[in-house]
Amino acid sequence: MSVPLARRLLLFRKGRTVAGVAGIAAALLLVLALEAIFAGINDRLTAYIDGTGADVIVAQRGVDTMHMTQSALPEPTAVAVAAVPGVAEAKPILYVPAMVERGERRGIVYLIGDDSGGSPLPVATGRRPHLGEIMLERTLSERLAAPTGSQVRVFGQRFRVSGEVEGLASILNSIAFVRRQELARVLGVAGVVSYVLVRAEPGVQAPELAARIEGSVPGVTASTREAFARSERRVVGDMTTDIVRAMILVGFVIGVAVAGLVAYSATLSQLRDYAVLRALGLRARRALGLAVAQVGATVAAGFVLALVLVWVLATVLPSLTPTLVLAIRADDVAQALGVAAAVALAAAAFPVVRVARVDPASVFRR
Amino acid sequence: MAPLVRIHDLVKTFGEGETRVEAVRGLDLDLQRGEIVLVMGPSGSGKTTFLSMLGGLLRVSAGDIWIDGTNIADLGERQLPPFRARTFGFIFQDFNLVAALSARENVEVALNIAGETGRPARERARSLLESMGLADRLDFPVEKLSGGEKQRVAIARAIANHPSLILADEPTANLDSHHGAETMRLLRELAKEEGTSVVIVSHDQRLREVADRVLWLEDGRFKALQALVRDPVCGMLVDPDEAPASLDRDGERLSFCSRGCRDEFSRVDAEDAFAPPAHGIGTMGS
Repeated sequence: MSVPLARRLLLFRKGRTVAGVAGIAAALLLVLALEAIFAGINDRLTAYIDGTGADVIVAQRGVDTMHMTQSALPEPTAVAVAAVPGVAEAKPILYVPAMVERGERRGIVYLIGDDSGGSPLPVATGRRPHLGEIMLERTLSERLAAPTGSQVRVFGQRFRVSGEVEGLASILNSIAFVRRQELARVLGVAGVVSYVLVRAEPGVQAPELAARIEGSVPGVTASTREAFARSERRVVGDMTTDIVRAMILVGFVIGVAVAGLVAYSATLSQLRDYAVLRALGLRARRALGLAVAQVGATVAAGFVLALVLVWVLATVLPSLTPTLVLAIRADDVAQALGVAAAVALAAAAFPVVRVARVDPASVFRR
Repeated sequence: MAPLVRIHDLVKTFGEGETRVEAVRGLDLDLQRGEIVLVMGPSGSGKTTFLSMLGGLLRVSAGDIWIDGTNIADLGERQLPPFRARTFGFIFQDFNLVAALSARENVEVALNIAGETGRPARERARSLLESMGLADRLDFPVEKLSGGEKQRVAIARAIANHPSLILADEPTANLDSHHGAETMRLLRELAKEEGTSVVIVSHDQRLREVADRVLWLEDGRFKALQALVRDPVCGMLVDPDEAPASLDRDGERLSFCSRGCRDEFSRVDAEDAFAPPAHGIGTMGS
């Protein structure tokens, strides 16, 4: 065991090291937090789909998403789907974006017309809607100050809030439920449904049932719930990829700037030490290793700190802003690790060049 | 007995063409084991260049430096660092301790570099520092040590790997008289008891007391000390043949390092208040 030179040199000016670690952590936090926010949105995006209990979702041909999409099926299609062998239940729903208003307050929702009023999703407070009623997602209900029993307006119609559901809203949207026949009346689209939520009989596999439905019922696309949710996530993913890329670039640039500056000042202040160590017989390669190790350790510490911070954010933020959910995923962490590695490599360039040029004979200069 | 160090026709030039400077011009020197050589000379005379080449820190332009049978002029860049670690101990004017390390670690790191690690290295570092009276300073940050303590740590680091040659650059310059004398005693002890050869580059006249030989380096060449005289005003050693100013007084020729010193001497002499010190010095060189 030798004297831990790199550690000693790194920790000698603690203030500078801590500032460097914090700066790098902030840069990487930008990347991690944004990815976690979008991952959280993705999770909430499919919360309704996941909660329906449907094994297969049937839509108009060519449609395999809900967000940013329209699907219209003739109502008899639901009957035809229900008749397909292996189908235990086929529940038609109407699905439209809408504005819920209460006084001056407004909120965008995906309004779902459902004969069962949103079953089997659990009701948090109140009950499922009857005719003339609406069930809101709790965060929207709180934002609109529209508790159970209050009145809201949708498509110019008044609805009484019958109850609340939880965990379906993201920062992008919320979900509300009304009776399907009432929504059809309000929209003037009698005889039309948007999707059919299908439950399979026990022992019937979802992919097999989806294929069977597409083969039996014309003009539809049948997707397993997993495939449908994947497509949903892809919609948001397509919208956010450029933002994430931009933030990764920003995080990388800030990270390189901070790490580079820290490495620059640390190396300048340590040049004399490097010269002394070289004069004592330290090989050039080992001296370079010392410089690189310090940059690497600073960036690694910054990465760990960023992970801790994003975990804290993911824990604390939802209690402050229920619609803002952060989901930390392994592949996002791996991506941030890649950014950190790139930052370390770029920031190590200066010390490597500077230390490589250290003249051991300079120890005699005053 | 073969000398430890044999320097032959050593030359160092910097730059090319009009900017070419000959810092060292054809130096020859033999150094015996356990011998202390003090190299003195004016600033810019080539002392540091000489020391850097001798320590394998600066490439020679021409000539040879044989140390214990190895010509360091022939060593490659990969061979030089381990050779330095094994062969030399360096002592610097401003100590050059690594501030991020404790006193013990400063010594231990020199051992690590030479290949000795772990407990043996730690024990050797501790033992050396204790022998230097620094037992209660082992884990002190070196920034908190006094000048004398720092120099003792530096000396402990220099001798940690049992070097055959110690190269000391102004080792007493930043020390008070007490600690300067202590450093001189340590160097003398090393040479005479351990057989370590020591080359000291310094302006400090006190070091003549411990030196076996004193060499005068000027304009990149060693000059015979017998031929040098002392400037009666500033006390600097001057070669009478190349003195910038001189004065005949009472049939005796006085040499000065500059016209300023000569004018000062003349002014005070005219006031009959200047008594010139004895000039010409005894030799300690070979």
